[in-house]
Amino acid sequence: MKLLTKSLIPAAAAALLLTGALATAAPAAAADCPSGHFCAWEHTNFDGQRANWSGDDGWWESWIADEDSSWANHGISGPGIPDHVKVYSRAHQGGHMTICLAPGQEVGYSAAANDDGDSHTWAMSC
Amino acid sequence: MPRLPPLPLRALCAAAAVAALTSGCASTPGSVRPPDVPAAERAGDDLLKSAQHTLVTRCLQARGLTLDRKASVAEDRRLQAALFGSGPSELSLTLPTGHTVTAHTDGCLADARRTLYGDDERSWFTAEVTVNNLRAEAGARMNEDPDFQEALARRNRCTAAARAAAPERCAREEAELAEVRSRLEPELLAEVRALRDKELTAYRQLRNRALHRALDVVPARS
Repeated sequence: MKLLTKSLIPAAAAALLLTGALATAAPAAAADCPSGHFCAWEHTNFDGQRANWSGDDGWWESWIADEDSSWANHGISGPGIPDHVKVYSRAHQGGHMTICLAPGQEVGYSAAANDDGDSHTWAMSC
Repeated sequence: MPRLPPLPLRALCAAAAVAALTSGCASTPGSVRPPDVPAAERAGDDLLKSAQHTLVTRCLQARGLTLDRKASVAEDRRLQAALFGSGPSELSLTLPTGHTVTAHTDGCLADARRTLYGDDERSWFTAEVTVNNLRAEAGARMNEDPDFQEALARRNRCTAAARAAAPERCAREEAELAEVRSRLEPELLAEVRALRDKELTAYRQLRNRALHRALDVVPARS
């Protein structure tokens, strides 16, 4: 179950979002993503099949590449430990960064990044 | 392919790094000098992460949990709830890129952040999420740029025609796309940074406050 595709997002909606932070309905439950891992789900609100990684992946498997609809960073922080996750629109950390998540942050859906991720890397910061 | 060690090893690395960070910089034996906030960003990051790690470890210990051992699936779910929080997320911010980033306020991680960044967790969350995604916001703007769209379409047409068998045929299109991207990126980033100046200022102020608090959390350097 996908929420929206990029092509369905009108410019007016994007412009509205640019006006600032908007409160939206949060997912009903926390994401089930193993401690120390970054997770991506094929459906919104952490539903459907889940991919999880404790390290980098420059080329997501085909079932999740461009099929990702929600994400969670359950990385563990520590000095010298890369605990932020950057998601990219193309393989091998190419294209543009679609989102960067600090530990504990989750994205139940995204109008823009839905079905857009191809790779990710852990980083010290965004 | 995973490049980082698995969680238990990473936790051990973190513990070792905390020890290294907090036991260095010895001055005269027996004397304790007031510690300074690190000037370098990376050193500041390490100080904040050390303090957060210390606070999280203490909080988990109080709940009979630890980061350092391999847990079963059921144990890890308990750890996840204690560390990251559970139930509906209390913090939520929709970014101009369309992402709605959420976080919880009831776990040990949120507790640690309250100690470091203050009780107004909504302000810190808004500043952090916004600043962390300035590059992503600039990327979203790039997608709307006609020059970029044109270069991307040319490259995509070429790769579709050449297929994977001869990707080198599209080297010129790839180079043109890279050139447009590297030309647009700095100006779009500057544009976005100017637009988010309020959040950037709040981020710097809250981070600076957190650095001072972190010095009280990690063991004193002596």
